[in-house]
Amino acid sequence: MKENPRLKAVRAVRQELAAVGIDPFGVQIDQIVSPTEGIIDGRPTILAGTNNYLGMTFDADCIASAREALESSGTGTTGSRMANGSYASHRELELDLARFYGKRDAIVFSTGYQANLGMISALAGPGDTVMIDADSHASIYDGCTLAGANTIRFRHNDADDLAKRMRRLGDGAADALIIVEGVYSMLGDRAPLREFVRVKKEFGATLLVDEAHSMGVLGEKGQGLAEVDGVLADVDFVVGTFSKSLGNTGGFCVGDSADMDVLRYASRPYVFTASLAPATIAATRTALRKLEKATDLRKRLQANAERLHAGLSALGFRLGAAPNAVVAVLVGDKLEALRFWDHLLKHGVYVNLMVPPATPGNESLLRCSVSAAHTPEQIDAICAAFGSWPGVKA
Amino acid sequence: MNHQDVVAQLIELVTPFAEGRPVVITENTGITSELGLDSLKVMDLVVAVEDEFDISVPINALAEVRTVGDFASLIQKSAGENA
Repeated sequence: MKENPRLKAVRAVRQELAAVGIDPFGVQIDQIVSPTEGIIDGRPTILAGTNNYLGMTFDADCIASAREALESSGTGTTGSRMANGSYASHRELELDLARFYGKRDAIVFSTGYQANLGMISALAGPGDTVMIDADSHASIYDGCTLAGANTIRFRHNDADDLAKRMRRLGDGAADALIIVEGVYSMLGDRAPLREFVRVKKEFGATLLVDEAHSMGVLGEKGQGLAEVDGVLADVDFVVGTFSKSLGNTGGFCVGDSADMDVLRYASRPYVFTASLAPATIAATRTALRKLEKATDLRKRLQANAERLHAGLSALGFRLGAAPNAVVAVLVGDKLEALRFWDHLLKHGVYVNLMVPPATPGNESLLRCSVSAAHTPEQIDAICAAFGSWPGVKA
Repeated sequence: MNHQDVVAQLIELVTPFAEGRPVVITENTGITSELGLDSLKVMDLVVAVEDEFDISVPINALAEVRTVGDFASLIQKSAGENA
């Protein structure tokens, strides 16, 4: 069979990595010991490359809920909710989410990626305009592609640039959908959400905020950046995921729109996907109840983030943002980042290697995600592994 | 805006992105195929174009752009819609 030319670029990257002898995108964790420890290549390894912000994956209550649902309701639903029926627990989780955010209703999707695909493609279509932050996650870009809408990027975190582009739309600005994220996954920087709300109101547009990396992390109740900035009531749709602070799999959208129940049926990624398994739903419901009250975990998470940020700063590293659950070390050169990443793994620390085009500003990053479950000793060990890189001058 | 004027202005904007490529840039030059711009450089070029012409270029419309001339036509279309 002849080579598929569409795979040329990806094949070239795979060959480049094979030549160096390091494969950062195929890491196998042979054993998960705890939310923050695993065995990789036979070595005990600190996991600092998950999104397990509250350490919820091993929470005893969540495991008990999952086990009970598994025993009572079976392993899977074997179909989509629209075609094959919802379980009562699917709807109960939606009502839990709506209550948690104080919004009219919620829609549960099978992943966070599908939540963005599903919402964007249901809210916009050919001839409509979607305004997205240039550093948006791939799920937002892909949602716009699926929608077939006119997709206009504005400069990252720049509300003035958004306003300028909204003005160019003229009367059409009121029909535009604006999409931003609460915290950006690569660098861990926050959106100036109040400024975006101001622009949204000025033009009468619709605002969707993806709080994937801020739900459970920010805010007294853990509702995310919209809670911290006091603008939750002005955000039309909040999209989020179960796969980070809730320690599971799945995605959702909450909103005050009277059309929430129509939107789900207009959303192909909702209609044509198998629904979440009962154990997943049960554990997520328990995790959500705990997340709301997890003020202590959020404090511990922030303390860990500050400890890691301070330790890496003292070593002279350039970091992506102020202390936050995502601490990104900017390395610049791709090959150096690759070797650095491998060095960390061999010293018992797993982080994420991020390279262009997934990263902003053509930078290669070593992205650490901090968990409330990390001990101060683990944070210090992460810093020590970074400090042992021969390139460190300190 | 006259198409040839837009092409001339666009060639000036594209030239720094094509540094090191021994290509005389014309209306028919392929932006990725001949000038070798990767996806990141294309997006940087789009931002430069948006600033220069005071327009917003929908990224979905870029799928149809192969040559400098195609991009010039898209700029004219975007400018018309923004007017």
